[in-house]
Amino acid sequence: MTDFIQNCIDGVMIGSSYALLAIGFTIVFGVLRRLNLAYGPSIMLGAFVGTLLYVQFQAQILAVALVTVIGAVLAGMYVERLCFWAIRRGAALASMVSSFAIWMQLEEIAVIILPERTYPFPALTDLAPLEIGPYFLRSEHLTMFVVAVVLVIVVHAVLYRTRFGLAVRAVSENPDAARFMGINIDAVMFWAFAMVSAIGGIAGFLILATDQQVTPYFGLWATFKGLIAMMLGGMGSLPGAILGGLILGIVETQSLWYLGNDYKDLSAYFLLFLILIIRPGGIFGHAMSEREREALRRV
Amino acid sequence: MDDYVVSVLSNMGMISFLALSAYLLLLTGEISFGQQAYFAISAYLSAMATAMWGWPLWAGLLLGAAAAAFAASVIGVLTLRLRGLYFSIATLAFAEMVRLLFVIFHYQIEIDGEPVGPDGAEGFRDIRWVFENNISAFEYMVIIFLVLFIVLVLLFRLWRSRLGSIFRMLGEDTLLAEMQGLNVIRFKVLASGIAGFIAGIGGAFYAHFATYLEPQIFNVMLGVHGLVYGLIGGLGTALGPLIGVALDIGFLEAIRAIHGYRMIVFGGLVAVLLIFMPRGILDEERVHWIRMTWRRWRNVAR
Repeated sequence: MTDFIQNCIDGVMIGSSYALLAIGFTIVFGVLRRLNLAYGPSIMLGAFVGTLLYVQFQAQILAVALVTVIGAVLAGMYVERLCFWAIRRGAALASMVSSFAIWMQLEEIAVIILPERTYPFPALTDLAPLEIGPYFLRSEHLTMFVVAVVLVIVVHAVLYRTRFGLAVRAVSENPDAARFMGINIDAVMFWAFAMVSAIGGIAGFLILATDQQVTPYFGLWATFKGLIAMMLGGMGSLPGAILGGLILGIVETQSLWYLGNDYKDLSAYFLLFLILIIRPGGIFGHAMSEREREALRRV
Repeated sequence: MDDYVVSVLSNMGMISFLALSAYLLLLTGEISFGQQAYFAISAYLSAMATAMWGWPLWAGLLLGAAAAAFAASVIGVLTLRLRGLYFSIATLAFAEMVRLLFVIFHYQIEIDGEPVGPDGAEGFRDIRWVFENNISAFEYMVIIFLVLFIVLVLLFRLWRSRLGSIFRMLGEDTLLAEMQGLNVIRFKVLASGIAGFIAGIGGAFYAHFATYLEPQIFNVMLGVHGLVYGLIGGLGTALGPLIGVALDIGFLEAIRAIHGYRMIVFGGLVAVLLIFMPRGILDEERVHWIRMTWRRWRNVAR
């Protein structure tokens, strides 16, 4: 039982970073109705620039964090302009393919910056783990969790307490109606993208600081972890993204502990497949069936 | 032809099956991130048939492709209720499950004192049927392209047939197709099965071309590439995916001179191309235009 609870604690801590990635996907998908496959790689590019500073100039951890976030935002803006702004609305598939092509591009740039397979990433803290009764709490995990909670509160406040957030929600609700209300859709998309990239950059930094190493696989990893966590919870729902991230984290740590490394990803994918089949809209997704929605669209 | 060209061309031929498989599903309006699963299933099964059970290649290929078609039909039934991104992610989850199952799949028998068979993450070595039967790399390439040609001809016939228009109708508007009295479920599962079979052919060829399989080959990247080829080349005809393959593999090999930067160049080119041609190079409109022009020319010549 102790093991089980310990795994749950670790899972929630790791899952909080998945939740951040999932929030990034959810907001972009809600606003743009398009999938940004280059999300992970643009975070990775930021992280690689940060790592370069750390490896070459022994930069301070805060500087690395700042560069990672700024790099991720710049890469995200580049992706938005090229794959989403430039391609007319309605061509959702073209945007997805385009973001995939840019993924390849970003990955190659990252490999040119740092050609080796792995590089060290600065650790966030070197404090001893916190002991609570029989349980341990790694200080990196705790930091990750706290930052994630703060970020979720900030994102929620931005979305529900500011004019910008109102515009974002209006655009996700109905782009045409939002345009008639005088909202500049292009600007909303751009800044939503920038915000999401910043969240991704912070999440990426926290994850890498916990692992203390970066590899060129991080882009693929981040894209699909975020995507899976979002789909578990249901697309376009903020609580869904958070729940999906936490569930993914817990399932991974539990199966790693009880079944071994070979089964860690396997059980995560199995759970995802099962949930999608049983509840086609994800856990928090709308229960309305596709057929009804299609019918409503015509009315 | 030198060996290098033969191996590049063979690669293009084999990946084309994967691209055509994803293309068929795109026609019915489904974006699959998971066609590599059927590629992998057939690769492993056909290799087991030839290397372990002593079957000839054609039998192994048929077995592999049939198994892939069966798996694809089952997944087709299971994912019937899913649309859009949910379908894509479900197929992705399935394909990753298949890949990870091959990581823990061990089944070996002794042949001539050597263990043969899939050995989990260590991979599946010595799939030597092509080598043992004295088929040269060039002949093997010719076989691949012959089969590819047959599949293409069948796809073109399918495009013109009633079944083809049903598939396109499903892609255009499922609800409307249903209101026309079509059995949507049956045709969706059928499309999924055919797509699985086509991917399976490619997988079986791949296993005997590479002579070595490991689960890592069949990751998401393979599937996403297969999917993207059709979208770059255009969905107007079955030639679209082949154009995508030729652009990616052929073009990348051609610009070896800028080795190390080629994905930067290529990725940028694709992104710019998609701004001007969001439905790919050979989209429906352009195919129609080409057909009309061709007809006019023929009439003038007469």
